[in-house]
Amino acid sequence: MSADSPMDNYEKLFEVAKQNEEARREKPRILLGTASCGVAAGALQVKEFFLKEIESHGLDAEVVEVGCIGHCYAEPLAIIAKPGFPAITYGNLDEGLVHLLVEDFLAGEDPCYEYALAAVDRNDVFPTFEDFPRGIYENKLILEQCGYIDPESIDSYIEKDGYRALAKALSDEPARTLDEVKASNLRGRGGAGFPTGRKWETSLKAGGDEKYVICNADEGDPGAFMDRSILESDPHQVIEGMVLCAYAIGATEGYLYIRAEYPRAVKRVREALEQAREKGVLGSSILGTEFNFDLQVFQGAGAFVCGEETALLSSIEGRRGVPRYRPPFPAVEGLWGKPTVINNVKTFSYVPHIINRGADWFKSIGTPESPGTAVFSLVGKVVNTGLVEVPMGTTLRELIFEVGGGLPDGKEFKAVQIGGPSGGCLPESALDVPIDFDSLHEAGAIMGSGGLVVMDEDDCMVSVAHYFLEFTQQESCGKCTFCRLGTKHMLDILTDITRGHGDEERLTLLEELAEDVRDGSLCNLGRTAPNPVLTTLKYFRDEYKAHIEEGRCPARACRDLVLFYIEPSRCSKLCNVCVGSCPTEAIYTRDDGLKAIDQEKCVKCDNCRKACPPEYNAVIKLSPPVLPPEKEKKRT
Amino acid sequence: MQLLEGERELILSTVEEVLQNSSRNREDLIPSLQRVQSKLGYLPALAMEKLAEGLDIPAVDIYGIATFYNQFRLNPPGKYQVKVCMGTACYMKGGEITLESFERRMEIEEGETSPDRLYSLERVACVGCCTLAPVVVVNDDHIEGYVTPTRVDGIMLEFEEADQKEEETEKETEEETKKTAAEGGKNK
Amino acid sequence: MNDYVNITIDDRKIKARAGEKLLWVALDNDIYIPHLCAVREKERSNASCRLCFVEIEGMARPVTSCTQVVREEMVVRTRSTRIDRLVKTAFELLLSDHNLSCRECPANGNCELQKIAKERGLKLRQKRFKAIERDHTVDDSPDEFAFDPSRCVLCGRCIWADREEAGVGAIGFANRGINSVITTFEGVSLAESICTQCKLCVEACPVGAFYYKKDKKA
Repeated sequence: MSADSPMDNYEKLFEVAKQNEEARREKPRILLGTASCGVAAGALQVKEFFLKEIESHGLDAEVVEVGCIGHCYAEPLAIIAKPGFPAITYGNLDEGLVHLLVEDFLAGEDPCYEYALAAVDRNDVFPTFEDFPRGIYENKLILEQCGYIDPESIDSYIEKDGYRALAKALSDEPARTLDEVKASNLRGRGGAGFPTGRKWETSLKAGGDEKYVICNADEGDPGAFMDRSILESDPHQVIEGMVLCAYAIGATEGYLYIRAEYPRAVKRVREALEQAREKGVLGSSILGTEFNFDLQVFQGAGAFVCGEETALLSSIEGRRGVPRYRPPFPAVEGLWGKPTVINNVKTFSYVPHIINRGADWFKSIGTPESPGTAVFSLVGKVVNTGLVEVPMGTTLRELIFEVGGGLPDGKEFKAVQIGGPSGGCLPESALDVPIDFDSLHEAGAIMGSGGLVVMDEDDCMVSVAHYFLEFTQQESCGKCTFCRLGTKHMLDILTDITRGHGDEERLTLLEELAEDVRDGSLCNLGRTAPNPVLTTLKYFRDEYKAHIEEGRCPARACRDLVLFYIEPSRCSKLCNVCVGSCPTEAIYTRDDGLKAIDQEKCVKCDNCRKACPPEYNAVIKLSPPVLPPEKEKKRT
Repeated sequence: MQLLEGERELILSTVEEVLQNSSRNREDLIPSLQRVQSKLGYLPALAMEKLAEGLDIPAVDIYGIATFYNQFRLNPPGKYQVKVCMGTACYMKGGEITLESFERRMEIEEGETSPDRLYSLERVACVGCCTLAPVVVVNDDHIEGYVTPTRVDGIMLEFEEADQKEEETEKETEEETKKTAAEGGKNK
Repeated sequence: MNDYVNITIDDRKIKARAGEKLLWVALDNDIYIPHLCAVREKERSNASCRLCFVEIEGMARPVTSCTQVVREEMVVRTRSTRIDRLVKTAFELLLSDHNLSCRECPANGNCELQKIAKERGLKLRQKRFKAIERDHTVDDSPDEFAFDPSRCVLCGRCIWADREEAGVGAIGFANRGINSVITTFEGVSLAESICTQCKLCVEACPVGAFYYKKDKKA
C-alpha cells in the first residue's frame, strides 16, 4: 500500500478518534437518551437536573446526549459510565433519582444497583440487557451502537470501527463492494424486500455519468419509528452505507429524504454530514482517493405518499408528490431522469457491517431467503414497548411474548398489526409465523418498514381497519381513480359498519372493491391500502358480522355502538370522582346518592371510566348500546 | 385574507431573503417554501406569487404544492399550536379522545385557528414517539407524552398562564416604552 | 433495429411502430380501449384514469396500455373477465363523482364517458357506489367558455393543453386525495387569473367540464 492509501488515511482518523474518546472517558459520563422519544418523556429536564446536581456537588462530569437504546418503556433513560465501575443503565429518571445517583454514585461509590436497569458490558457485578429473557432472542447489528455512542461526535462512531468498511472498499475496485452486497443477499428493508445488490447493479449498468443515491427516511407508517431512532442515534452508520453504495454504482450526489415530522433527526444528520466532510469521509477525494460523493438532507413536507419512491423523486424535483408508473424503475430512470438507487435507512445501515464482516457472516444470521435481522418498533398493548432487533425467522409469538414481555394488565391477545397501513392484522393462529419477507406476505401482512402494533381484546378489528383505511384515504395523492375514489367508498362502507348501519350486500361490495383497488391502483400506496381490510375480513369476519347483524361491537370500542353505564350495585354514594371528570356534566347524582349518566349529554369520552376508582370499577361500557331494564325501573 | 399593517413588507423582505439564498432551481421550491413558512408561520398568497416570479414557475404550481403537503399552511397559525398525533399507537390509546378534548377546550375544530388567533389545532401523522402514546406536539417543537383529557386541561391552563404573563410583560414594556417615549420626546 | 414490430391484439396481427405505446397502436387500428387521461404527445403518460387495462401474455397482472411499449411478438387481449371487472369498477368509481346530467351537458353525444359506456356495455347510471356529494360552483367568468368542476374527472388533459400547447400555466392540480381539483392560483376565477382564454382546454376536455357557452359555440 502506498503511504496515503485509504486505509492509511483511515488509520490516522481512527487513532485520533480513539485518543479523543479515551480522553472523554477519563471523566465520569452520563449518556442521556435524547432521541425524540426520550425528549418527549422529559429527557431535557433530566439533563437540567443532572447539570444542576453535578454543579452543586462540584463534580467534573460530562452529560452526553445520545440516541435511543430501544428500551423506550423506561424513558427517560441514562447510562452512567464512571471509571472503575461497569457502565450502568438507569430508567424512569426523575429529579429525585438524579439527585440520588449523583450524590451516591458520582460523588460517592455506590452505583445504586437497586435502581439500575442493566449494565452495558458483561461484568461480574450486574446483569446486562443480554441477560434479560429477551436477550436470547435479540441480536443487535444495526442497533448495536444506538444509544451508546455520541451521535453528535463522529469520533465516537469512528472509534467503533466506523468508516473502516469505507476504507476497505476504497482499497479495492467498486465491483468488489457490489459483489459483496449481492452475495450477502441483503433485501431492502423499506417493505417489499427487493434484493439490494440487484437494485445497485441495475443502476450501475444503466450507464451515464450522473447517478444518485437516495436514502428514503420518509418513515410515514404510523406506529413505526425505527428509522427516526437510527438517524438520531447513529447517523454515520447510514451515511457510510450510502457512501459505499455511491462507490459501488459510481454516483457523485445523494440525498437523505427525511420527514418533516422528524426535526431532531434532520438536525443530527446535518451535523453528521458536516463532520463527515471535515474528516474527509464525504465530499471530494474521500479518504484521499479520487472518489467524490456528497450528500444533503431534503426535508419532506408531510405527505405519506412520498415514502413511495417515485413520489419521493417528484417531491425532490419540486413537484406535488405524486407517483409515476413503473417501469422504468428509478434505478434506471430516477431523479432528473438519471439512474437512482433509493434504499431505506435500515438497508443502508447493514452495508458497512456486510463489507466489514463479509457476506457469509451476514448470511449466517436469519433465514436463507431473508438473511440478517429485522428491526421493529414494538408498540401498542405490550409491556416492553420499544425498538427491537431480532434475527429473521424469529416467530411473532417469541417477539411479542418473550422480547416484548406479553400484554399488560392481564389482557388477552387479539391481533398484531404489521407493516402499518400497507400491512395486515394477524390473529393468534398466525403467531407462529416466522418473521421473514415471504412468510409474512403469505399470511396476508407485509414486513413493511417495521411497525408492529399489538392489540388486545379492547381493540375492535373493524375500527382498526377503519383507522388504517382512513389514514391511507387521507394520504392518497388523488392521482389515480382507484385510490382516490375507491378508498373513499371503502371508507364510507366501513364507517357505516362501525355505526351498525352496514348490511351483507355492502360487506360484499367492500370486499370486491378492496380487491379491485389492490389490483388496479397506480402505485403501492393504493395497491396495499386494502390490506388492513382484507386481512381483518379474512381473520375477524365474525366481528364485522356482529356489527352488522347485532349492532354490537365485541370489543366495545366503536363509539356509536356502545353506551357508558354506571352499575348501581358497584357505585358508591361516598364517591364523586366521576362527576368531576365529566367534561359535559352528563353525570348526575340520583335520589339514592348513586351516580348515573345522562345518555343525551354523554360524549363517550371515557373519562369517567378511567376516573372511577379501581375498588368500584362501576363505570362499564355496554354494546349494543341498550340500557339494562333494571335501570328503567328505577327511573320511574 | 386581509393583510395587517406591515405584513406586506415583512412578506416581501422574507421572500427576497429566501430567494437570495436559493439557486433558483425548481428543486429549491419546497425548501424555499419551508423557509418562508418557518419565518412567517404560514404561506401568504403574496409570498407564493413572489416565489413563483423568482423561481420562474407558474404560481398555480406553487399553490398546488402548498395545498398538497400537510406541512404547509395557507392561513396564519394560532399563537399556541397543538398537533395531536394520530399514529396507530396514539389512536389505540385514545388520541381521538385527546383531540376532542382540545376541540372542546379551544372551542375550535381540528384544522382551525381560533378567531383571536390564539389557538390552532391540527392532527398530525405519527411523530414516532409511539411508546408515550397518546402524544401531542405543542408549538412545533415540544412533544408531550401520555396526554389524557386531564392533561389537556393542564396544557390549556399552561397556555392561559403563559398568555397572561406575556400580556402583563407586554403592558409593562408598553408602559415603559411610553415612559421612555414621553421622556425622550419621541412618539411611536 | 427494426422500425416496426409485429404484435397481436385480440387475435389480430398488427404491425406497430417500434417504441409506440400499446394504447395508440390499438386505437390507430380501430380497436377501442377506454381511456381518459392519455395524451399521445406526452412522453410519460399520467396513467391515472386506470381505464385502459389490457392483458398481455406472459405478464401476471393486467397492465395499462398507455404505459406499455409494444414489443415484438406481444400478444394482447383487450377484454377478459379480469379486465372487464377492473374497467367497470374504475368507470363506476369515476361516475360516482361525476355530475350525471347528460341532457343539460354540452358534451352530450360527444363525451368520452358515454363512449366508454357504449363500447363496453356499461351503465352510466351505476348503482354500486353512492354519489359523492360535493359543493362545486361553475366558473363561467371567461367570455366564451365555462368550467364545471362537478363534471371534471381529473384526467389532466386541460392542464397539458394549458402548459404544453398554450404555454400559459394558468391552471393546475391543487389539494390532495379525494379533495383534488383542477384550479387556478388561489382558486380565483379564470377571468381573474392569467388565463388567456385560448380555449385549448375546452378542446382537450373529454367530458364537458370545460365547455363552450351555448351561444358562443365555435
